Amino acid sequence: MSKKSQFLAFIISSILIGVLYNTFRDDGITLIAQPIETITSVDEAISILTEPKIREINLKMAIQLFESGVLFVDARAEEYLNNGFIPGAIANDNIDLLTELIDTRIGYETGFVIYCSDDDCGSSEELAYDLQYSGFSNIFVFKGGWKSWSEAGLEIQTNE
Amino acid sequence: MNKIYPWLILVIRIILGAIFLIASYDKILDPGQFARSIDNYHIIPFGLENSIAIILPWLELLIGLGLIIGVMVDGASGITGSLLILFIVLILQAILRGFNIECGCGLKEGEMVGWSKILENFVFLLATWMIYNRPIKLFELFPKSPLSE
Repeated sequence: MSKKSQFLAFIISSILIGVLYNTFRDDGITLIAQPIETITSVDEAISILTEPKIREINLKMAIQLFESGVLFVDARAEEYLNNGFIPGAIANDNIDLLTELIDTRIGYETGFVIYCSDDDCGSSEELAYDLQYSGFSNIFVFKGGWKSWSEAGLEIQTNE
Repeated sequence: MNKIYPWLILVIRIILGAIFLIASYDKILDPGQFARSIDNYHIIPFGLENSIAIILPWLELLIGLGLIIGVMVDGASGITGSLLILFIVLILQAILRGFNIECGCGLKEGEMVGWSKILENFVFLLATWMIYNRPIKLFELFPKSPLSE
């Protein structure tokens, strides 16, 4: 059997098994990723949801939600928080403790914002899915995160 | 040395195969999370990260098994090498673009991209090259090697 045939055998088998397994599993994903919905008004953010959702917000919306008293969750690792964080934001590297903390503060249905370092960090989205799995139904991912907040000269809090 | 070398290759084959098996496990269990890890590299267009997340872990599993049990070792090591080069390029571009993201490599939870990951992949690439260019085929079930008949 030539090397080329062996390459093809591995690749074709992977495609067949992967697609078939994904089709028949309960938590299969779509072949093409759908972009996360973006919201642009506070009314949209606080409306009652019929199903759990993770949605994106920009800096302008983040400011409006902050002024409305919405809870912020910092998804960055703890060492990054020494340079400051959005006032009142909570953080915990332990997902169970963080779940308990959010539940105690606002319960499972109330919306809250998650952010990380910048546009590209990804950990806010990762945490959003983990928390959705824990039962939280209305989560906003703040694109731009700490970088856009601090660069806009907005109020910050530090652990002194 | 010549007598030991084929056995050394066999050990390397099994270790590298096991690494790929382990790396595939979490990705197969949670393709959604793996797709998000791929997306964090900001290089895959058109939402194709989902298709990659569905197929790539199975490719890793199959080549891992191939290396361990000695099935189509040429093909398995060839693909392993290609994947490792791809991973090095992906991690390198993430570092150069200043992304502080999780690797999504599947070996250790929460592991971030960095130069140590690139070095690790180069070590794996060297091991793969040794397997691909092995002078004697030892314990290979298919295609059959003389010693396994």
